[in-house]
Amino acid sequence: MAGKEVLQSLLLPLAALSLWFGLSASGLAPGYLLPSPATVFDSGLNYIFGSPGDGPYAGRFAGDLAASLVRVLLGFAIAAGLGIPLGICSGRLALVNRLVASSVAGLRAVPGICWLPLALIWFGIGIKTTVFLVALAAFFPIYQNALTGARLVAPIYYQAGAMLGVSRLRGVFAILLPMAMPNIITGLRLGMGIAWAYLVLGELTGVPDGLGAVIIDARMLGQTDIILVGIILIAVIGRVCDRLLVAGLRLLFKSARRQR
Amino acid sequence: MIPATHGELETAGRPVILEITGLSHHFVHDGAVVPVLRELTLTVREGELVCLIGRSGCGKSTLLKIVAGFLAPTAGRCRLDGRPIQRPGPDRGVVFQEDALFPWLTVRENIGFGLTGQHWPRQQRQREVDRILDLVGLQDCGDYLPQALSGGMKQRVALARVLIRFPRLLLMDEPFGALDAQAREEMQELLLDLVRRRRQTILFVTHDVQEAVVIADRVVVLERNGGRIREELTIDLARPRDRGDGRFQACCSRLRQWLRT
Repeated sequence: MAGKEVLQSLLLPLAALSLWFGLSASGLAPGYLLPSPATVFDSGLNYIFGSPGDGPYAGRFAGDLAASLVRVLLGFAIAAGLGIPLGICSGRLALVNRLVASSVAGLRAVPGICWLPLALIWFGIGIKTTVFLVALAAFFPIYQNALTGARLVAPIYYQAGAMLGVSRLRGVFAILLPMAMPNIITGLRLGMGIAWAYLVLGELTGVPDGLGAVIIDARMLGQTDIILVGIILIAVIGRVCDRLLVAGLRLLFKSARRQR
Repeated sequence: MIPATHGELETAGRPVILEITGLSHHFVHDGAVVPVLRELTLTVREGELVCLIGRSGCGKSTLLKIVAGFLAPTAGRCRLDGRPIQRPGPDRGVVFQEDALFPWLTVRENIGFGLTGQHWPRQQRQREVDRILDLVGLQDCGDYLPQALSGGMKQRVALARVLIRFPRLLLMDEPFGALDAQAREEMQELLLDLVRRRRQTILFVTHDVQEAVVIADRVVVLERNGGRIREELTIDLARPRDRGDGRFQACCSRLRQWLRT
């Protein structure tokens, strides 16, 4: 990006930050509702780099991040592992689509949060509930986009493959998946975003560690600054995960590297 | 090198490669049966370049799809070297009208695509790809992606990727229809060069009379809506053919006459 474009993309965050400064400094927003940026910054440093003696949240970041990452990645992996093959099959095979489509559509109509009570009964409080919720929520966009991608592949590409001697099975890997790759990537990115959202939901339930758990915990102790720290960190980590996901796919697949 | 002039006299004695007898095909559209081909009979000999011409909807593309194995005919026989055609295969390379290159593969990889699963040693494969690149005049573009190529270059790659499998029969469905006049003539020359060098047998669909007369050994005119062969014309002119030549134009006007009525 050119300097001008970078500046333009930073304009809105900088404006929000200035507004925040203004609100805190003028006293319009009391500290227990909206702590000043400086307070939040200090709390953030303390949360990330502090040693355990420095306060209730000091130095907990690494442990929370690890716990949350495991949950997100596990749930995401399950969602991708089911969503991509099922989506591709539904997109290509009318029979599979008939079998699966209405059930998936029905399940999707249920807001994810409705599953929370059931998940708690089934899996109890802990990693399993969170992973279940994350996997369930991330599944839909991954499935739907894989399906669309597979359906959009023009028959001429299969014909081209067939006349070059590619068998149907090999065509799936040599033609279908690469052609559908841009859609698959879109689905995975959406799924990754939703995974982080549902992580917080899953960690609402009283697990001791995790970035979502910290936010909930901080609310009960009235530590608004820590809530903000958690929100900002989740935003940053979510963004990093998205970039890493795209970079990883580009590294692994030509079809991801060279299309759109 | 084989002499530049070879025509009907030379191909007449060669073995028949493609044998189509009593071929009929219809589509069912909204419950109504729409006939496309009716009891069509056609043979193509080794090394022959046969052009199929006809108005839109006369069934010429359908015929090509049946020969390619993409479509099973309603009735009739279609044999390649005496064996019935049942499915697509590398013995019948197809060059499509529209761009059907794999967009995530470079020119080189697109051309080599037909060799994957062939268990060729890597080096030998590279050499073969290089040779074919050279043959279609794309030696400097091997690492480009299709999106960076002009229409003419794309069709060269499309041609190259089927040539690498040494197809017994090359099927071309209006392959130069979307190209500008200049690129079209270049491609016609390239095709003729190929016929000369490799004695490639080609079944070529076009609606352009001039194109047919420039390249074909024999032009087969399909009936307007009949799905049958209206006439055949052997083009017995020496190559390269001069578009301004009287006999060339006579051939064109005869074909146009047949297309009209």
